[in-house]
Amino acid sequence: MSTLVDGPVRGGRGQRVLFIATTVILCLWVLVPIYLLFVNAVSSSSDVTTFPKPRVPAIDLESLRFFMNYQGVARASWNSLVVACTTMVIAIGIGAPAGYALSRFDFRGKSAFRLLVLLTRAFPLPLLALPLAILYIRVGLDDTVLGIACVHALLAMPFAVLINFSLFSGIPVELEEAAWTLGCNRWQAFRKVVLPLVLPGLTASAIFAFVISWNEVFAAAVLTIEHRTLPAFLLQSLNSAPLHLKFAGGAMLVLPALFFIFAVRKYLFAMWGIANR
Amino acid sequence: MKMKQLPLLVGAALTAVLSSNVVHADGLVFWSGQAAKVEEAQAMRDQVLSGFEGEVDFQPNEGGPWMTRAEAEISAGKGQIAVLGALHGNFTTLADGLMDLSSLDLGDVQMNETFMELGKLGTDELKYIPWMQATYVMAANKKALEHLPEGADVMALSYDELVAWAKNMAEATGSPKFGFPAGPDGLKHRFFQGYLYPSFTNSMVTKFRSAEAVTAWETFKELWQYTNPGSTNYNFMQEPLITEEVWVAFDHTARLANAFNESPDDFIAFPAPAGPTGRGFMPVVAGIAIPKSAPDVEGSMELVKYLAQPSTQIETLKATSFFPVVDAELPADMPAAVQISGEAIAAMSGSADANPGLLPVGLGELGGQFSQVYKDAFERIVLAGQDVQTVLDEQAETLRGIMNDAGAPCWAPDEPSDGPCPVE
Repeated sequence: MSTLVDGPVRGGRGQRVLFIATTVILCLWVLVPIYLLFVNAVSSSSDVTTFPKPRVPAIDLESLRFFMNYQGVARASWNSLVVACTTMVIAIGIGAPAGYALSRFDFRGKSAFRLLVLLTRAFPLPLLALPLAILYIRVGLDDTVLGIACVHALLAMPFAVLINFSLFSGIPVELEEAAWTLGCNRWQAFRKVVLPLVLPGLTASAIFAFVISWNEVFAAAVLTIEHRTLPAFLLQSLNSAPLHLKFAGGAMLVLPALFFIFAVRKYLFAMWGIANR
Repeated sequence: MKMKQLPLLVGAALTAVLSSNVVHADGLVFWSGQAAKVEEAQAMRDQVLSGFEGEVDFQPNEGGPWMTRAEAEISAGKGQIAVLGALHGNFTTLADGLMDLSSLDLGDVQMNETFMELGKLGTDELKYIPWMQATYVMAANKKALEHLPEGADVMALSYDELVAWAKNMAEATGSPKFGFPAGPDGLKHRFFQGYLYPSFTNSMVTKFRSAEAVTAWETFKELWQYTNPGSTNYNFMQEPLITEEVWVAFDHTARLANAFNESPDDFIAFPAPAGPTGRGFMPVVAGIAIPKSAPDVEGSMELVKYLAQPSTQIETLKATSFFPVVDAELPADMPAAVQISGEAIAAMSGSADANPGLLPVGLGELGGQFSQVYKDAFERIVLAGQDVQTVLDEQAETLRGIMNDAGAPCWAPDEPSDGPCPVE
């Protein structure tokens, strides 16, 4: 934290107050909705509509228990996790080499490629879903974890490629050249010099792919039947659910993603240069 | 998480992918556009479908994914969906891909004839058989009853009395207490199509821009003055009724059910009001169909038969608040919502001046545009305050275009027509 506080504080008292106030507001901005979500998730259905909230909420796990017993939630959560991890692997497996190539090599159509990769986000999914579903059914990818992960990886691809492009561009090519002169071949130089330097950023773009997959509903709802992901399974039903179930379901959707981001936070912070190693 | 664990995680993920890649069907897939609400879906699985001999995988979906998936399986010619369940309107675009069910032997089940006719979707084949029905009613907090205008019977209100009632409540409490589902997903268009128009013009399409229609909209504008302005955000009226933001509201029975179930002693349901040409109301029917791509037609047939049984229909009613479409004796131990709205529906459909307006028939994929005409008219006349006759004249042109494009003949309450239903 010390590096964070040092910088902007030197200007004096007024700036310090402003800095702290901004920090508090930003924290509240993120934390208040999460707080309300979780408090309401553990409240009884009649308490959900009351406001202001009692200081010590009466814990009632009825709404959460409903989801625990809701048929298929456990399996859908597992599917979601597997799909999100696969998406991550595919997105990084393709995105990192693509980003490296963009930053290190000159080839014809380079700028066109950078633009084209964004186009995968230009078409709305509901438009693509019907032909995609027909194709999937015909080739047998339909209703498989791999199939849905491919679609999610496609959605995550522009971010993976462009984040990795700027990551590799930030590593001076001279470092690699130094390694070559000391006897490394191209792959060894990459693995021993470049990879450790980009790993935090790589992780960040992987998290991005994970979150994109975790949040995607439409493709998952159309392309799966037995292998539903959690959002496809829950989100549509929650839309018209009563308030207390919305909160409980919302908490269930948010919690795993929070855990995941918490687990890899070190890499995220490292990318922003405030690591606490 | 250490760096060394990354390869491990990747490996685990890949193993999981490969091991879960085997497609296996857990019984018959029931692809439903209805009962998508979590509690309803749960009740459908636990109470309705658990009685079926085989395994049923109940998969409720919203309109978009429901339609896309069904279309995809039908076009691909193979798929996993065994039975489709949805509202009448959803089936119209799929008609060609649905099996003919007229040879299905339902035994001694007495199915509603009007709904069976709807199930043909304008063809000679029976494309779906009726599954369940619902309609729209009015709901009121009992606190509102003391503000009823003098001499008004809540079970037989007129539109003028409703306006007077809303006015009384607004003046007595200082805030408008009438609520209307005018939110983005609210069912406001059904009110205009099936309630306002039939009640004032004895028509839904033909007299769209008539003088009577102008009176209808003027009356609604008057009502809007005493309507909670939050109404443009309401999609399901049960929520504002529970929080007492509004005291009186119009909505689909399934969208009021939570209020009735949560505090049965606080709420009543009552029939929609009557206008000069009767008490307009709109029955809603959902059906079940078998796509031609179904993997196990025999099994699908059995499931459809099971769903049509009176005992299943009563369980479905308990689970979804949608009423049976077959002759079935209702037991006494029904949920509060069923009892409360059941009485209102009976009073409404059984009233001497009842004037049912059916859901649009034969519009196919133009159904959405048809409803948009009524939504646009509402936004321009009521929200934007534009001149009623001008708006109706312009919207009538759009409406005529839609009817001609679809080639749809008139449906009740309009007189049957040869060729597309005319807009005068």
